[in-house]
Amino acid sequence: MPRIVREAEVAWEGSLSRGSGVANAGTGAFSLPVDLPSRVGDAPEKTSPEELLAAAHATCYATSIAGEIARAGGTVEHLDVHCVITMDEVEGKGHLIVRSDIDVNARATGVDQAGVDQAAQAADEGCPFSALIRATASVSVRAELAS
Amino acid sequence: MAERRAAVTWNGDLMTGSGTVDEVGSGAFGPLDVSWAARSEDESGGKTSPEELVAAAHAACFAMALSHALAQDGNAPERLQTSAAVTFVAGTGITRIALTARGKVPGLDAEGFRAAAENAKENCPVSKALTGVPEMTVDASLDA
Repeated sequence: MPRIVREAEVAWEGSLSRGSGVANAGTGAFSLPVDLPSRVGDAPEKTSPEELLAAAHATCYATSIAGEIARAGGTVEHLDVHCVITMDEVEGKGHLIVRSDIDVNARATGVDQAGVDQAAQAADEGCPFSALIRATASVSVRAELAS
Repeated sequence: MAERRAAVTWNGDLMTGSGTVDEVGSGAFGPLDVSWAARSEDESGGKTSPEELVAAAHAACFAMALSHALAQDGNAPERLQTSAAVTFVAGTGITRIALTARGKVPGLDAEGFRAAAENAKENCPVSKALTGVPEMTVDASLDA
């Protein structure tokens, strides 16, 4: 199996509470400002590690469930995948990522809701990111076949 | 408690279809194109992937944790540069994350910086969420 390495770099200036950084993607696909207020408070136009993880999980899961619906004999036309990552302060452990909740709306032919439910479970088991964060956080997945 | 959201659409099957990270809650980025080929082959064609997004999340989390730890020990950094390289093996998953830190930290020696970086690697929330990754390394050195 080929090993693929993807890299990102962050340049940070100043303290945690008042400083800020920029996260650059190795592929050049994005260059994003990050800072602490947008991580723990409201997030006006700046991203955060948790938002980047939400984007990673949604993307990972989208590819997984696209594969699983096809394996179940269906044809995917369109998937909408939403992910919400929750970080909380846990007593004695500091800030932890405690949940990731995935919600999918699928437009597909040749598969019924039961088939989509099965594909959603299989995709959760197959998405490497789900498996990783399940070690310390809870992961929920829900997929609905668009009528 | 902080909740962060992202929305992705995907069209077609895994191998020949493609997707977009449409939008995120903060509005900071999107749309970003994604595809299986761009994810699983060396040549990304300028497209991002879940692993690159994880790399960005981890590098940013690591930078914040390191900045905080240094300042708490009385050695506030002037500048930090961090990176994360995430290795993905299709069919297996993420097998390795290599973090690096370079910094300008008045009053701190190389050993102190390495110790702080090791600590930040252990304790940043993204590291804790990714404890299942088989290998996580850190390489830290001060700017000359």
